[in-house]
Amino acid sequence: MNTFKPVLTEYIDQKDCHTLPFYKSIGGYTALEKVLTMNPDEVTQEVKDSNLRGRGGAGFSTGMKWGFIPKDSNKAKYLINNADESEPGTFKDRLLMNKAPHQMLEGMIIAAYAIGCHTSFIYIRGEFYQEYKLLEQTIAEAYDNNILGQNILGSNYSLDVVIHRGAGAYICGEETGLLESLEGKRGWPRNKPPFPAIEGYRQSPTIVNNVETLSCLPHIINRGASWFKSVGPEKGPGPRLFCVSGCVNNPGVFEEPMGVSLKDLIFDRAGGIPDDKQLKAVFPGGSSSAILTANEAMDVMMDFEELVEKGSMLGSAGIIVMDETVDMVQACLNIARFYAHESCGQCTPCREGTSWLVMMLTRLINGGGKPGDIDMLLEITDNIGGLIDFSKGSFGKTICPFGEAVAWPVRSFVEKFKGEFMKYLPQEKVVA
Amino acid sequence: MPLLKIDGKEFEVESGTTVLQVAKANGIEIPHYCYHPALEIVGSCRMCLVQVEGMPKLQVSCNTFVSDVSSDRKVDGKYDMVVHTQNDLVVQERKNMLEFLLLNHPLDCPVCDQAGECYLQDYSFKFGNAHSRFEENKRVRPNESLGSQIVINHNRCIMCSRCVRFTQEISGTSELFVEARGYNSKIAVLEDNPLDNLLAGNVADICPVGALLSTDYIHKNRIWNLKKQPSVCQDCSVGCNVDVFSQTDQILRLTARENLDVNGYFMCDIGRYGFHRYEEIDRVLQPMVRKGDSFESVDWETAIKITVDLIKKNKSKAAGIVSPFHTNESNFLLGQIFKDVLGSLPPITGEEITYPSGFRISADRSPNARGMNDICEGVVEDLASEIETQGIRTLFILDDGIDRELDDKWKKIIGEMDSVIV
Repeated sequence: MNTFKPVLTEYIDQKDCHTLPFYKSIGGYTALEKVLTMNPDEVTQEVKDSNLRGRGGAGFSTGMKWGFIPKDSNKAKYLINNADESEPGTFKDRLLMNKAPHQMLEGMIIAAYAIGCHTSFIYIRGEFYQEYKLLEQTIAEAYDNNILGQNILGSNYSLDVVIHRGAGAYICGEETGLLESLEGKRGWPRNKPPFPAIEGYRQSPTIVNNVETLSCLPHIINRGASWFKSVGPEKGPGPRLFCVSGCVNNPGVFEEPMGVSLKDLIFDRAGGIPDDKQLKAVFPGGSSSAILTANEAMDVMMDFEELVEKGSMLGSAGIIVMDETVDMVQACLNIARFYAHESCGQCTPCREGTSWLVMMLTRLINGGGKPGDIDMLLEITDNIGGLIDFSKGSFGKTICPFGEAVAWPVRSFVEKFKGEFMKYLPQEKVVA
Repeated sequence: MPLLKIDGKEFEVESGTTVLQVAKANGIEIPHYCYHPALEIVGSCRMCLVQVEGMPKLQVSCNTFVSDVSSDRKVDGKYDMVVHTQNDLVVQERKNMLEFLLLNHPLDCPVCDQAGECYLQDYSFKFGNAHSRFEENKRVRPNESLGSQIVINHNRCIMCSRCVRFTQEISGTSELFVEARGYNSKIAVLEDNPLDNLLAGNVADICPVGALLSTDYIHKNRIWNLKKQPSVCQDCSVGCNVDVFSQTDQILRLTARENLDVNGYFMCDIGRYGFHRYEEIDRVLQPMVRKGDSFESVDWETAIKITVDLIKKNKSKAAGIVSPFHTNESNFLLGQIFKDVLGSLPPITGEEITYPSGFRISADRSPNARGMNDICEGVVEDLASEIETQGIRTLFILDDGIDRELDDKWKKIIGEMDSVIV
């Protein structure tokens, strides 16, 4: 059934696939050699032409983002590899770092070359200690082989890569929160504009790209933008790592072309639901995305546009499957609790609102619910993250997208499974 | 210059001005907490959200900069930006934001020092809801001392971070920081680095709610009982503009008054708490004349006559002592009488301190040395030796209420005078 040949994860089952000799044996760093003979603008154009969109969650065009770097700025430019993968249900970057660290590093050097960066950072999630140790080795190997450092591969281009470990905050995966953290400050996201491409790390032009995004670059250079664009839908093409977890027989990371059907991912690649239970709901793009009901999920392609049309998003492509036994109110509380715990506390709606949601849901579950509570849950989510309905005009009230990230899933739980929430309300006594 | 429209009114503004600045300058009220003109913009309280045409999200007006846009992007063919601060969307959003801010607020206004000058009260009154929908338990934390003069009531804090930014940007001492995260965030200090810098008192001034309290004023009075009088600080030559709050001739507190040419928005604690010396001084309430070892009260008429006689009799051997703590008027008048020998007592000095923000505490801890020198011609530098060489026998000292520790030389000089008029 599955005819797609993986690109990013082709060799992950091979012995020593993380080492430089192995990576070189499969043609590693040939893309870099090619790039070093190109003009940086040509590299950016190639990436633009490929229609590569960021794999971290927002899905913004990578080439376009690079294009925002001011050409006339004398400031140093920075490339930051966002390896702070913390979205619940998402574990693809960890796999890429473990199994194909040189592929990611080659992508980093290509990106850095394109934007004129000479010092690049890997901001790695604090909990990824094993990956951190491995990346240290990877970088040492690269320095020893003139892949990093002065005059890379005999060219005029030099680049240093520094690894910076996070300290355990989800919000530091948000790019401006990440920048603050990298500068040694509290991970409080910044107001935008200015966007990092204009004023990022230390007020200098900065590009923040995700591990998977960067890992795509060597393949775009080697096989060409038109090849990349031919994989999946043209507006958001390319191979993509889908993480399937939750109520499935065979959870894991599956590389598929963009636009693969969610049904195939759940019932074919991930082996379906244990004990042939019924599907109830799915997070299609990490816990920040609005959930899809079973009916919606059976009929959706994993594509940026299509998921937006369905009122959700592709996000980080972390698919969390919930079967008929899952209590949607408990699941909603679980999600709300995560966001309340991770809210940075900088701005009002998120700091106060996320905890209010948790308190209300807890009260509801403990039997203290009141008839107006369910509508109020919806109002509070709107007050934190705004309505998804663009025509209403008011959405997004917080500094960073965290407000939306909590409001959207919670709202979708309440809207789509209102009946289950109603069941928790104390039943009126029947008068005999 | 960009053309901005706020609520139907047109404003031509400098490029780079924020919507909030324009609104403030033109009497359009946009509620805000975290924004302070002297501090970095953080846009975190979200109170100042307004609607900007063409932008899908509401924007924080404190961080929305007006600039020229290309002609094809102008609204109605001429406006660079069109802002609404009063429409339904914005009005509702303010209600929502105030609801969040009041969730965990104790609503203890009857015992709160900020009551009457509290932005949480004022904005709730103007923009908020009349009732609360919050039925859960409030977050309750005990008060804590941040330093010797500042206490924090965490329950009232709205996390606007003005105080944190103040210690980072104005005093440069960075004692305050935000501890923990999200719902558990709170303003904190390290045990071994309390908030004890000389600008610490300002954090109570800039706190928009009743969270930061000066121990000097806590529970002393209600703000609406006090008379507010604009004045100038007496404790160094910078001359910070202040407001003096008093009740029945007793000063209860001083706060900084905005003057961008002098002190900006702040003042130091030397000046802030300096008024207490007036409580300690045993004031002379009526004229007294020395009789042997003791003083005898006399009426003003008698006192003035004695003074005039003394000065007339000893004019050639008399000197006037003006004071940098006195007004130009007093010094000028004394200077008119004692043209020949005029001087002042040893100056009160301290350490000159300049903060990273440029805020300065002058080494000259008197308010009017320059005025005194300018207004009185011929103030001698070394009055002590002048008294000796000219054989001065009578001194007229303008008492400035300063409790000086005079050195032995001066004690000797004053002790040897035929007469001293104070």
